[in-house]
Amino acid sequence: MADGLTELLVAPLAGVDTPSWRGALADAKAMLARLAVRRAGSGPFRVTDHEVRAALSGDATGDAGWTPFAWSARTARRPLGLAAVRLLVAGGARSPVEAVRARLAESAAWVRNGNPCASQLDRWVAGLSDAGRSAVSAEAVTWTTRLWCALDWAALGPAPAIGRDRWWDSPHSALLALRGRAEVRTERANLVVLSGPRRETVRAELALVTLVDSLRSRDGTLPGRVVGWWPDSGRLVRVEPEPAVLTLGAEAVAQVLAGSGLPVPSAA
Amino acid sequence: MVLVAPRPLPPAAPPGVTPPRRGGGREVLALLRGDSVARPRFDPGLAGGLRAWLEDAAYGFVAARGDAAPVFLGSRQVLGVTEGARVPDGVSDELVLARLVHALFRQLVCQGDLGDPLADALDALEALGEDDVVGHVAALPAAARAALSETVASHAGNLRDLVPRFAPGWMPRTDDRVAIPLAGGRVVLHGTFDLLVGLPQPGTASLCALGLSTSGPWARERRSLHFLALLETLRSGAPPFRLALLESATGRYGVEDVRDEHLRAIASHLAAWLAGDTGSRG
Repeated sequence: MADGLTELLVAPLAGVDTPSWRGALADAKAMLARLAVRRAGSGPFRVTDHEVRAALSGDATGDAGWTPFAWSARTARRPLGLAAVRLLVAGGARSPVEAVRARLAESAAWVRNGNPCASQLDRWVAGLSDAGRSAVSAEAVTWTTRLWCALDWAALGPAPAIGRDRWWDSPHSALLALRGRAEVRTERANLVVLSGPRRETVRAELALVTLVDSLRSRDGTLPGRVVGWWPDSGRLVRVEPEPAVLTLGAEAVAQVLAGSGLPVPSAA
Repeated sequence: MVLVAPRPLPPAAPPGVTPPRRGGGREVLALLRGDSVARPRFDPGLAGGLRAWLEDAAYGFVAARGDAAPVFLGSRQVLGVTEGARVPDGVSDELVLARLVHALFRQLVCQGDLGDPLADALDALEALGEDDVVGHVAALPAAARAALSETVASHAGNLRDLVPRFAPGWMPRTDDRVAIPLAGGRVVLHGTFDLLVGLPQPGTASLCALGLSTSGPWARERRSLHFLALLETLRSGAPPFRLALLESATGRYGVEDVRDEHLRAIASHLAAWLAGDTGSRG
């Protein structure tokens, strides 16, 4: 499992037909520009993989099904886990348990000292009892261990980026922003940790990562492949940077903004 | 080879006498560590063969069902394990106890010690967002709450003796979920390891799994661990090489090596269950 996943993150990319790529990128930009204009005035809209999944699978809930976000051991495990993996990669801890403990100690110190680095999450964790913090720690350790043990980190090259989500803000409207989420980024690939069942929307979710990287690129550099990985099953799905992926990503965004559950034409 | 199967129930202490504590899970830890050069070998093709067998059965199940919606099958469905299961109208007493004790188990693994058992368990469940269980306990009359507190304390005492305190290098992780899609995702076998330790190594059985039972019966809980071992085989290509079952109500434990026969037996049961064999579903 670990070998196959690491190999996908370091394997060279296949060549792409440059005119086709540029054409697809121009088309995607034009489509997003039209969406931004149409969207203006109706409030800010941030499109993430979650929105893509919800819109394309018809799971988008109306206001009645909406519940406000609240920190819990389960919602905190990813941000704490990413910080712990960062510490492990940097050599600041020798095991996931130590890394998570260090991160939680940092939280407590920041809150105690009034450090401006303290986030809402830090304050929530610091306000828990020892037993509550232990539950948070247990969830984060499991999340961290799965990611840490899944990869051969030495093979990934120098300084892989851990948990750096990337945003693209539409130049046509400050109201539209797209987020590309990836847990690990190397020179050639982006690893996205997936949860939930296998689903038909997953390629569109991952295409958003390719789209955001392509839109942000100033020199037209080809983005890396996107590898989706389900730790629950060990299954992988890969999305290579191809013109069709840009189209798929842009159409998925359009679908989200349209609020429709219809299938994306390019996904067929 | 079964190393301990299971440890016999300790004799009841005379009234007013506190039984001696064995402490810190050292016995379990020693059995899990075992002989590192004598790890069981598994046929590298075993995982593929088991998957093919189950895929066939799952496609048959889907065809007979005639419904494309995914079916999620855990040990509760295929083995009849009810521990921790929710009841239609919310939470049962059995579920409440299982969740509370499970929270204490995780705290012991993660932190190494416990304070007031019921208070700690409730704090942990609140942090996990399990508001239904926390609310259920909060609504109990004082006498029922006191009885629950006593029961939880009894389980906690046994856990203190049973649960090994793992060094961080063992990579202990609790509640490691496994979900194996079959038949194109229309059948999903799933389960959760209470505790996994060890570093995964491709092609090698290198993990130990520990299961916690709060209510038994022993034989069914053991089969549930075999079910999880099968899921791990399908996920990573190799099962855990050793399993431990800890029974918090009695302080019993058992440790055994995973063998091909265990995996074949549980896969056979699953295939029969998917085929609609009445005995298997009973």
